[in-house]
Amino acid sequence: MKRLRSILGNTLAWVSLALAVLTPFLLLGWFQHAVASAGLRIDPLYTGGEIARVAQREGYRIEIYRPAPRRSPFQKIDPFIQMVWCPADRLPARVSDEVDVDGDGVPDLLVTFDSKTLAGSVTPRNTRFRAMHGAGVISFAELIARVNDGIVVRTRLR
Amino acid sequence: MGAAGLAAEAFALGVSSGPVCVASCAPVLLPVLVAERKAAWGTGALLAQFLAGRLAGYLGFACIAWLLGASMSGQPRARTWAFGLSDLAIAALLAGYGFAMRRKPFEKACPANWVRRFAARYSSFASLCLGFASGLSLCPPFVAAGVRAAQTAGLPSALFFFLCFFLGTSVWFAPSVSLAMLRRLEAVGIVARMVLFLLAGYYGYLAVIALGRAYLNG
Amino acid sequence: MLVWALLMFSRPEPGVAPRIAAAVTLLFMVTLFYQMMRTYETHRWRRYFFAALGFLFPVGFIWELIALRGTMSIPVERMISGDTPFCFMVIPMAIVPAAIGRTVVFPGSILPTASNPHAVAMMVALWLAATLVMGKGWCSYGCFFGGIEEGFAAVPKKARISKIDLRWRWMPWAVLAAIVLLSAATLSPVYCSWLCPFKTVTEYPQVRNFETAVQMGIFVTLFLGLVVALPLLTRKRTQCSFLCPFGAFQSVFNKIGVFEVRLDRSKCKPCVLCEKACPTLSIGTDALESGKPRLSCMKCGACVDACPRDALVWHIKGTEVGAAPERARLLHLYSAWALAVMFGGSIIATSLTKLIGLVA
Repeated sequence: MKRLRSILGNTLAWVSLALAVLTPFLLLGWFQHAVASAGLRIDPLYTGGEIARVAQREGYRIEIYRPAPRRSPFQKIDPFIQMVWCPADRLPARVSDEVDVDGDGVPDLLVTFDSKTLAGSVTPRNTRFRAMHGAGVISFAELIARVNDGIVVRTRLR
Repeated sequence: MGAAGLAAEAFALGVSSGPVCVASCAPVLLPVLVAERKAAWGTGALLAQFLAGRLAGYLGFACIAWLLGASMSGQPRARTWAFGLSDLAIAALLAGYGFAMRRKPFEKACPANWVRRFAARYSSFASLCLGFASGLSLCPPFVAAGVRAAQTAGLPSALFFFLCFFLGTSVWFAPSVSLAMLRRLEAVGIVARMVLFLLAGYYGYLAVIALGRAYLNG
Repeated sequence: MLVWALLMFSRPEPGVAPRIAAAVTLLFMVTLFYQMMRTYETHRWRRYFFAALGFLFPVGFIWELIALRGTMSIPVERMISGDTPFCFMVIPMAIVPAAIGRTVVFPGSILPTASNPHAVAMMVALWLAATLVMGKGWCSYGCFFGGIEEGFAAVPKKARISKIDLRWRWMPWAVLAAIVLLSAATLSPVYCSWLCPFKTVTEYPQVRNFETAVQMGIFVTLFLGLVVALPLLTRKRTQCSFLCPFGAFQSVFNKIGVFEVRLDRSKCKPCVLCEKACPTLSIGTDALESGKPRLSCMKCGACVDACPRDALVWHIKGTEVGAAPERARLLHLYSAWALAVMFGGSIIATSLTKLIGLVA
């Protein structure tokens, strides 16, 4: 039994060495792939979540995301709806769009902003959303910000 | 809707909300369960105290809200005050419990006899007090249950609805009795008391922010 | 050496500066390893690497931040685009939310992108590999923060404060428990938001209101206290010993690592030089009685090098204590050093590249 444990221990020691040497060349990619296949995603409260619908406009599109709800009573970020106007370089100087968030054919929000100064407002057409007025980042759940190739607008849910 | 239907609805709502309730109560409950290093029965008794306090908080709040005719979901300012005060209570209770543990160096820190007597008595009902303060914290499932309860015929049925809702959420707390297994580790008591103070600091900060916001917003 | 050369030069970057930096780093690492072999000492030479990593990492990191966006603070836009580099310290906080909701409560990206090579999958994979090989040895060979306080702890010849209440070494466990509970409740990385002293030398959320100002105050206070002042006064790694929840988390993995330090009690005459040498209070009378360091042992080798009677030895689990200590040491060192060159060496080379670019 002692001998068996000794053989096992020594074997594991050599396996550890092999693991250490092979990790940067072969195994790191395999480990990454294994982690990535776990089906994890970044919390939608940070990234805005998944795109639910795309509304086409002349020269640009509006990506409408699924609402990012409150999942915990202690969650600090208020629930919000995110919309992205892209490509940002093709937007007119002043953007004003009625946005149908849930795809029922009835506009839910009127979004207006200056694509250079990022000052603007969100006027809700129903009670599901809060109004927003300002420039840049007001809070994590209320902002008009340039992110990569798009202009992200977030407004809070009621 | 008959009593059976109301009970089933409330219980189902409680069971579906249970994980959220556990997540929000765990920071307060788990260190208390572990700090005493009791066996399974003792830990179960502490859990029962906590849940009883939580139920008292739920029912007491439901009573007051019903009598005042107020629906808390529609009064964000009142909720902010309630959040702040319950967080302050939790912070004070956690810190007090940490000091009340009958171990060094806390004995040295509180030389007065009356403090030691109070501390000795307090530690036996701290779990109840913390449960009560947690019950007042108005987490979203509680608010949702409150809104539904307010739609029932009268105060007794509202209280019955809350009781069944509470039982549904409590199902999820039962596994925490298994924390009694940790009592064999000597350091667990030390770590649990440190956790109490850390969490007291966190809840204290939340209380300051919530009360400050409520005061400034009028 | 061939493997290390391959590691250092396997990611070619344009320009002379990266190649010079890679060559200097390779020479540095090979020299240190040669000295470890020649002198039969581990801790002293490992410490040079670790302190270099600790001090050069912020240099390169801050440089890149200033070059990219002109500030060390994290703009919200970067969080939205998932460009925040994933730090290994988030791992314990992310486990419960990931298990329950399959979400990672960190504003990064799962897979590496052009703008964020330090993605969740990459860092978790690296951590997993290093942990399987070294257990808590990560804290001696991998953590790019620990080297800062190890550097400060090495400065004074003698400790000004030598009596430390041993109960404080349980604080990291308390911090770990608190942040795991709160992170599960708030679905956010609470330690990163409130307690990480290394935000002071990396990146931090923009100071926009009272709350973020309080957070910044806590970061700076903890950094100056636990990372600078107390190591200078105690000659111990006080942040690691008294705060770091990741260290407590890694302690659990000491159970599965195959390499460890053990005591040959027949040789020990308790002079407690090992206790004085240990930077993390992992050796004491209770540990000597049990025949091995406490679970918080980082496998730095300080106690082994300090023991005048060779009572403390490197050991492979399952084998007889003291049977082949040098083989155990060599296998551990080769493993740890391979990962150190890959990870820490890359960081050192990257930072040197920037410094060379500044001078040249």
